[in-house]
Amino acid sequence: MLALRLLWRNWRSGEVKILAFSLLMAVAIVSGIGVFTDRLENALIKESNSFLGADRIVRGSKPFDPAWHLDADKAGVEHAEVTSFSSMVFAGDDMHLAAVKAVTPGYPLVGNLVVSDVPFSTNVAEQRVAANIPPEGEAWVDSRLLPLLGVKLGDTVFVGEHSLQITRVVISEPDRGDGFSLFGARLLMNAADLPATEVIQPGSRVSYQWLLAAPDAQLKPFLADLELKLTEHQRVVDLESAQRGLSKTLGTGQRFLMLAGVIGVLLAGVAIAISSQRFAARHVDQVALLKSLGAGAWRIRSLYAAQLFLLALFASGAGLVVGELLQRAVAILASQMFNIELALGGAEPYFIGVLTGFVCLLFFALPPLWHLPVVPPLKVLRRDMPVEPLRNGLQALLGVSAVLCLIWIYSGDLRLTGSVSAGLGVIVGLALLGAGVLLNIGRKLAAKKGHIWRLALASLDRRRGQSLVQILVFATAFMLLLTLSTVRTSLIDEWRFQLPEDAPNHFLVNIAPWQVAPIQTLAENNELEISALYPMVRGRIQQINQAEPENKRSEAWRREVNLSWATELPKDNKITDGVWWDQWSPSVPNEWGVSVEKGIAEDLQLNIGDQISFSLGGLELNARVASIRSLNWDSMRPNFYFLFSPGALDGYSPMYLTSLFLPPEKKLFINDLLHEQPTIVVVEMDKVIAQIRTIVERVSAGVEGVLWMVLASGLLVLFAAVNASMDSRMQEAGLLRALGSRRKLILGSVAVEFASLGLFAGVLAVIGTEVLLLGLQAWVFNIPVQPHYELWLLGPLLGAALVGGLGVYSCRKVVTVAPGLVLRELA
Amino acid sequence: MIKAHHVSKEVRSAEGKLVILNEVSLSLDKGQSLAITGASGSGKSTLLGLLAGLDLPSSGSITLDGDEITAMDEEGRAAVRARSVGFVFQSFQLLPGLSALENVMMPLELHGVAGARDKAQMFLERVGLAERLQHYPKQLSGGEQQRVAIARAFASEPAILFADEPTGNLDTVTGSKIIDLLFDLNREQGTTLVLVTHEERLASLCECRMQLEAGKVLLTEECA
Ligand SMILES: Nc1ncnc2c1ncn2[C@@H]1O[C@H](COP(=O)(O)OP(=O)(O)O)[C@@H](O)[C@H]1O
Ligand SMILES: [Mg+2]
Repeated sequence: MLALRLLWRNWRSGEVKILAFSLLMAVAIVSGIGVFTDRLENALIKESNSFLGADRIVRGSKPFDPAWHLDADKAGVEHAEVTSFSSMVFAGDDMHLAAVKAVTPGYPLVGNLVVSDVPFSTNVAEQRVAANIPPEGEAWVDSRLLPLLGVKLGDTVFVGEHSLQITRVVISEPDRGDGFSLFGARLLMNAADLPATEVIQPGSRVSYQWLLAAPDAQLKPFLADLELKLTEHQRVVDLESAQRGLSKTLGTGQRFLMLAGVIGVLLAGVAIAISSQRFAARHVDQVALLKSLGAGAWRIRSLYAAQLFLLALFASGAGLVVGELLQRAVAILASQMFNIELALGGAEPYFIGVLTGFVCLLFFALPPLWHLPVVPPLKVLRRDMPVEPLRNGLQALLGVSAVLCLIWIYSGDLRLTGSVSAGLGVIVGLALLGAGVLLNIGRKLAAKKGHIWRLALASLDRRRGQSLVQILVFATAFMLLLTLSTVRTSLIDEWRFQLPEDAPNHFLVNIAPWQVAPIQTLAENNELEISALYPMVRGRIQQINQAEPENKRSEAWRREVNLSWATELPKDNKITDGVWWDQWSPSVPNEWGVSVEKGIAEDLQLNIGDQISFSLGGLELNARVASIRSLNWDSMRPNFYFLFSPGALDGYSPMYLTSLFLPPEKKLFINDLLHEQPTIVVVEMDKVIAQIRTIVERVSAGVEGVLWMVLASGLLVLFAAVNASMDSRMQEAGLLRALGSRRKLILGSVAVEFASLGLFAGVLAVIGTEVLLLGLQAWVFNIPVQPHYELWLLGPLLGAALVGGLGVYSCRKVVTVAPGLVLRELA
Repeated sequence: MIKAHHVSKEVRSAEGKLVILNEVSLSLDKGQSLAITGASGSGKSTLLGLLAGLDLPSSGSITLDGDEITAMDEEGRAAVRARSVGFVFQSFQLLPGLSALENVMMPLELHGVAGARDKAQMFLERVGLAERLQHYPKQLSGGEQQRVAIARAFASEPAILFADEPTGNLDTVTGSKIIDLLFDLNREQGTTLVLVTHEERLASLCECRMQLEAGKVLLTEECA
């Protein structure tokens, strides 16, 4: 097969290698990132769904219809039931209002229930994942329940009328973060024992949860059917509704990985275009020769098409292997750094990778090669005969529109596509307008400098067209890389900031006013810091503007909400409308003001100046809406829908609430605290926070790994672009060398030449980056828009250093090899 | 074998129409050799390109090995070239990425000749490069490169060989050796030869001569 042989021979010349390598990189990056993202996503979905203990939960206040179980079995959906309620647990004379959870076999469907035989165990070796739920007649409990009741493992406690033997302690439950409603220590029991306890009576406050787990293909249709049968007291809960902050983090992480993939392809595409151009330039003679030997245009076309096809085939195959290795390496690295394990991914990314390779070839490699078959055969006699390649502008247009299509197809995100286009547009526009000016300025400056500078800038000026293209390519590559690393940094910072190391991880609730001082003393003795104390009263909304609406759909009408007052605006809160107390004045004397959370204000259609009547344990409290606040639900601090003006709740015997950060080694503080003040309630969020942090770290690790992959392809582009202009530069340098120029002068001028290109490109890139970031931050990632001053220094400097270095590296041969040989090779 | 009838070539340039070849006619039988001489820029290469079917004249007709190539399209002329024509160029035109052997194999492979490698090797041995098969053009001297080009031209056993100043880039001694080689092979294969040169010795070896000046035929020596 002639094409194969030709390809093999062409392989020896560098440009085919770069072409193949760029193609390989495109396929590797797309499939590598794709598979990695897939795996990460699967792992994250698993991990985050373990927050629910299931893929979905149906939550209700009444028992579920047992007939549904059959439906689920038929649909191939795993299921288990959880019944939660507060109940007194007795052991002799001691008792505690425990958070009881009765479960059926299978619980938890997703995630692990970790238990131990050692109370308060912090040693992983003593802990294990429970394979089953507690057997009938047994209970597993929070360690702290043991001292509260004065019992030890093996002792018996009473739940209602039924006695249960405590056989293990619960170290962690996947779905622990599920709401604040139950404050007591956990008691986990088998649902089969429930009737015997006789604690559930008509009117008891019980939460029923039906846990469901199945692949989406089975789960989605099942849920669609189920939704029709749900009563108004039942609803389906997914991660989105259960953990807002977490699902936001996941979404952002996914968008980042997608952006990275897109940028990787873009870079590889540019590398492909450049190396194809060089390939075409070098093959004009070969084609003319083949034609003089009697090959017609169609023969040439099929010969080259076959070569390209074979190249694509081999490069894609190798790309898949490299992509696989890359993603495995990143996965292993990630699992070592963060101790995480990734689930397996699907086959789709591999397919998309290969497809990308072929699309890149079609749109980036073909246009530069388009004119080859029509090279006139007379060129063998008249070497100076001009050939007319497809216009650069048209080629760029084809490439860019292909890329935008690819981005759009991958991301399905018009805003992302738009942002990338805007960044590219700015760079191209500025390059066309500004590069000439920059070159002129450079030349004027150089005139005052030494020999090296004049030589370098003159060389740039002589190759204006080529220099312009190179500046464009460098600038595009820098822009994409700067953007990616900036987005990565701000995302990871934001995630870290959301949950700082010392974020409060325990809430102390139900603190009576006289308990405040002793608790503070106890905390001080243990060197712990207690954050602000909030007074809290539970209440229900009665009327808005002296009227009750017909439709009371909002949760706020149906449930008691936590009410509080504050002098200072809490840390993470922002006033979006109206004013805070320091600027507020009541419209009538002795009127109270209330600040309402944004979401619930929208739900209740509240506006500034509306009057709300609350019922607080039968007592009425009227307040006027003074401000609307947005707050950060991810912060793990006490958050309130309604905050009153100072003193409003004094007459309603408030209890206090606070949060504190408890490092693992001081965990036993809770026991001391509860021993001293048994009526207060401790909500432990530390395990939930640890879980969230794991997920955030996984996403961060993924982001980091992918960034490195893309950086690699960025370097490849730079390398290809530097190399593309080496032929003529080497020839000149060889000539200079032959004429007796010293090594220092030649390398110096090459360094200055490329460093200037890099510098110009760096400046353009920073401008483009700011534009692109503007779009990405505002539309895609929803992070605050801000200028990035560090880029303005970093971009140009890095550009100059990188491109200059690569230039010298690529040109080094000219000074290490005898000048005669260089000239001969290039003749 | 070759017939040219009132062949002219005009090109458009910035200064208007430029006649680079004016009403040239010639006729050459099978196995004969023609030397085209003339000053630099007189139109020799242009005429050679037209005769070989690499380009089209502005007017006139050319018949090559029985086919009127001026009436054909480029694909048709390519087919004629593939069948009957070989080239040797002043600048050798070897592909830098291919070894000597591969350069010679190239046309054979293109035409699907069986045993391309052996044949190429044989011709390289014939031109005295048996030891240099795997060398790349840049590792060979000018004379050696031209010998590879000659091996490449004769390997596909063309009916007509076109050579554009084959010794133009070589010193006199090397040039003579190349000339001898060219005519030896020409004799062995009975090839029709069209040769552009300004070397007297080379021209004198040809049976027919034609001298050009500014695109016009200044002198034709009838074939001996
Ligand atoms: N395509 C063309 N466009 C413009 N001028 C041409 C073209 N082809 C040939 N010429 C001119 O025609 C003249 C003859 O060229 P050429 O045949 O190469 O001369 P020779 O081979 O005898 O040195 C030269 O002056 C050359 O510049
Ligand atoms: Mg000539």
